[in-house]
Amino acid sequence: MKHVFFLDGQEIPFIPGQNVLEAAIAAGKNQQIPYFCFHPALGSLGACRQCAVKMYAHDSKHPPRITMACLLPASDGLQLVTLEDDVHTEHREIIELLMTNHPLDCPVCDEGGQCHLQDMTVQTGHSVRHYSGPKRTYRNQDLGPLVYQEMNRCITCYRCVRFYQDAAQGEDFGVFGSRNRVSFGRLEDGPLESPFSGNLVEVCPTGVFTDKVFRHDYVRVWDLQQGPSVCPHCAVGCNTTPGARLGTLRRIRNRIRPEINGHFLCDRGRYAFPYVTANSRPLQPRLMGETTRQDAVLRQLASRLEEGRSGFLGSPREDLQSNLGLFALADCLHAPFAAVTSSWAEALAQQCLALPQAPSLQEVAAADRIVVIGDLDSIAPMAGFAVRQALRQGARLTVLASSRTELAQKGDYRPLRPSALRDQVAQLADDPCLQGGRFPVLLATAETLGPSGLYALRKTLEKLPANARAGAFVNRPNLFGAAYFAADGHTERLQQALRQRKINHLLCLGADPLGEDWGAGTWRTLAPGLDGLTLLDMVDSETARSAEALIPVAAFPERAGLFVNYEGRIQAFSPVYRREALVLHSAVQGSGFPEAAGGLKHPIGPPPPLFWLGRLAEMLHLHEAWQKRLDFYLHFLCPERPDPEGPGVLLPDTIRARFEIAAVPATRTVTPEQWELDIFRWYGGETLADTADELHSLAPARGLRVHPDVQAVAATLHGPCGDLQLPVIACAEMVQGVIAIDQEGFAELGLYPGDPVEVSWEQRQ
Amino acid sequence: MSSPTSIVDLNDASLLARLQDLVAASPVPEAAISEVLQVLQKARGYIDGDALRLAASLTGLSPVRVEELCTFYSLVLREPVGTHVLRICDSIACHMAGAQDILTQARQHSGVDLGEVSRSGKLTVIPHVCIGLCDRAPALMVDDQALGPVDTQTLTRLLAQLEADIWKPS
Repeated sequence: MKHVFFLDGQEIPFIPGQNVLEAAIAAGKNQQIPYFCFHPALGSLGACRQCAVKMYAHDSKHPPRITMACLLPASDGLQLVTLEDDVHTEHREIIELLMTNHPLDCPVCDEGGQCHLQDMTVQTGHSVRHYSGPKRTYRNQDLGPLVYQEMNRCITCYRCVRFYQDAAQGEDFGVFGSRNRVSFGRLEDGPLESPFSGNLVEVCPTGVFTDKVFRHDYVRVWDLQQGPSVCPHCAVGCNTTPGARLGTLRRIRNRIRPEINGHFLCDRGRYAFPYVTANSRPLQPRLMGETTRQDAVLRQLASRLEEGRSGFLGSPREDLQSNLGLFALADCLHAPFAAVTSSWAEALAQQCLALPQAPSLQEVAAADRIVVIGDLDSIAPMAGFAVRQALRQGARLTVLASSRTELAQKGDYRPLRPSALRDQVAQLADDPCLQGGRFPVLLATAETLGPSGLYALRKTLEKLPANARAGAFVNRPNLFGAAYFAADGHTERLQQALRQRKINHLLCLGADPLGEDWGAGTWRTLAPGLDGLTLLDMVDSETARSAEALIPVAAFPERAGLFVNYEGRIQAFSPVYRREALVLHSAVQGSGFPEAAGGLKHPIGPPPPLFWLGRLAEMLHLHEAWQKRLDFYLHFLCPERPDPEGPGVLLPDTIRARFEIAAVPATRTVTPEQWELDIFRWYGGETLADTADELHSLAPARGLRVHPDVQAVAATLHGPCGDLQLPVIACAEMVQGVIAIDQEGFAELGLYPGDPVEVSWEQRQ
Repeated sequence: MSSPTSIVDLNDASLLARLQDLVAASPVPEAAISEVLQVLQKARGYIDGDALRLAASLTGLSPVRVEELCTFYSLVLREPVGTHVLRICDSIACHMAGAQDILTQARQHSGVDLGEVSRSGKLTVIPHVCIGLCDRAPALMVDDQALGPVDTQTLTRLLAQLEADIWKPS
């Protein structure tokens, strides 16, 4: 049955449970009802008194009365009016009250052009301030490198604190004072600690919280080129709207996608974008360390490939089409191809894919029994955000991890060594933490749990009720896409070919096999057998520095592509802008463009990987065969091309099923006396994000994290591929017997999470 | 409550025991926060950063939550005060009965800004939200004692008594 009420005589449909304002906004009638404190994701508060409507009763006994639309449940046949004078007066006068202390700094305010307060002020017709007294002023706080505060602009809608404390469950931001001296901020100056702090910029209806990174290279928002994109910094695949101007990317905003990120983004998603403008980003092809022209580097690469002794290495950091393009080229040349850099990562990807359909984050937020395995916030912060939403609805949370993470403090925490995690996961089916729930969900950080742990998770899931769901997360945007064409043993075959000297050249796409990728230790020992290594990438890395040829590629907002997220949801993104730089005419040879006109816009953006691969195929006279293969693979994985504006398409279960027969991963036994390795990450850390200065300035110090029982200042870890010396950071939250190091450390040692490790401690002097 | 003559150390065993008793007697630890703050303020004169963190750890609240409470209630002091605290009500009933004149006079007498300790160390003047004596407006509080209505003459007398340390609560 269709439910409707009437607003100024027009039918407004609603879903039972909605309030009048919510339904009116959904129906596009927000021009009629101004509002501030209501936010679709934060709900109603009734604090601002702005969304007044006049309600007419159905009988003559009750006179019409003005009421707040956000607090009025929508009901059938309700008669509401906003077009009468008293409602207009209410709207106008409330705005005037809210504007009493608001500074008239709109011309220089960063919020200009996207200011809800400005829109509502204009909409309601308030234009003359009757108050002539002094305005209330504040001392602003320094909230760190990401969010800028200008408290004088505040209209006390409480959206910020409702987001930060209630939705994001952060503890270092609050509301202080009373009466007209209310302020919002931290106890003392300092960076906001929540992984979701950047959302303050979007929830604030005026310019109290503005984007500090955008501020460095500010442009009026109506001048921004914007378009639909997908976040490339983890496997969740939040929808984003990058904004660019004059050929450079200036900011990232959330793009509402109810199934995934809703109205919010994590700070990695919002503030990692300066990787595209980082000075270290390669923009010109390099051959033997020297900048060169496109055709020179292509000729060199083509001659390498013609020798027939090349191997191909894709990456879960690159998008689906580019990986498929590389795979198709390898296929045409009958050359070995791998999508990931180690057999361990291959097994991990296969076990991730073998899990049945994962829940969307919207479904996670509706779960009532949740088990989190590992430090979810540091891998996929928005998944942690969804867990917090479930907690608000009364879900029971159990966290299994080797360290008492922030999420662990919000639920039952079971401190476990990585090797014990697997055993615990295997027994979860009978565990009381999942009993009695309608909708149990298990969320794992894939790397901490490892392939054998993920296998145990799948087996546990088979024993649980049919509605139980599980998801595994990594901080790569496309592990699930890259792994679809990585059958058993691909990586091993590629490494074997190198060992047996069948290949002497490696063409890598977005991979860092000599730097921080899994198994880098092994690749380093194999590297002397390589005559040449060619890398297509958008970021500077260890591999980029030692590559014979480096081919720069377009960053994700500069090109179209497809990512497959942790659910197997294929999402498309569009090119938002073209990287350009203004150069003076004298710098462009032969250009007569007058200098007085401001020079010439010169495209310096590198092309996408598919362009390079297509040109290579042409030079090798394989273009037709390459294109056919590429089209076939794309059609196989993704028969229906998703619309960048839409919710994406889910991979069919039939494709998923082929991974269920993958080899059962071997389990490693660790004795209680041995030290065990776990991975340490933080919410802003990821290969691309690490080159974003502002976000990276918040990164915790590099070191070896261990329980404070260990009285040592430094330690040397011994692995099969080398030793690693790191300073010791005592961490009271860690489980005893566990050592946490970053991914780079694992790469240097040649070990994986959950492996036992030999340690020599350097004692305190 | 006048300022204490000696400040109790936060590690004092009997103070800690008293605070822990308050938390234990409370149905949930968080609910004990206002009593904990009262005891701490009585022992130390005001809630400094360390006391705030102690109150937070005892009740399981975050320091931000405790600060929210401290700044909301004007009876909680976050800065050191003089021997006597003069809280002058400036809510609407007192405002209409001339609270601003009383406030100005008291501030001028103290010789420093509102909330600061006078040079003699005897007095701190603070504007206060309604103390519930609207029938005796303009009203004020000297330490724990509420007085009203107050005019300029009674205030002059009161201030002189406070300076001379001869004022006694009735």
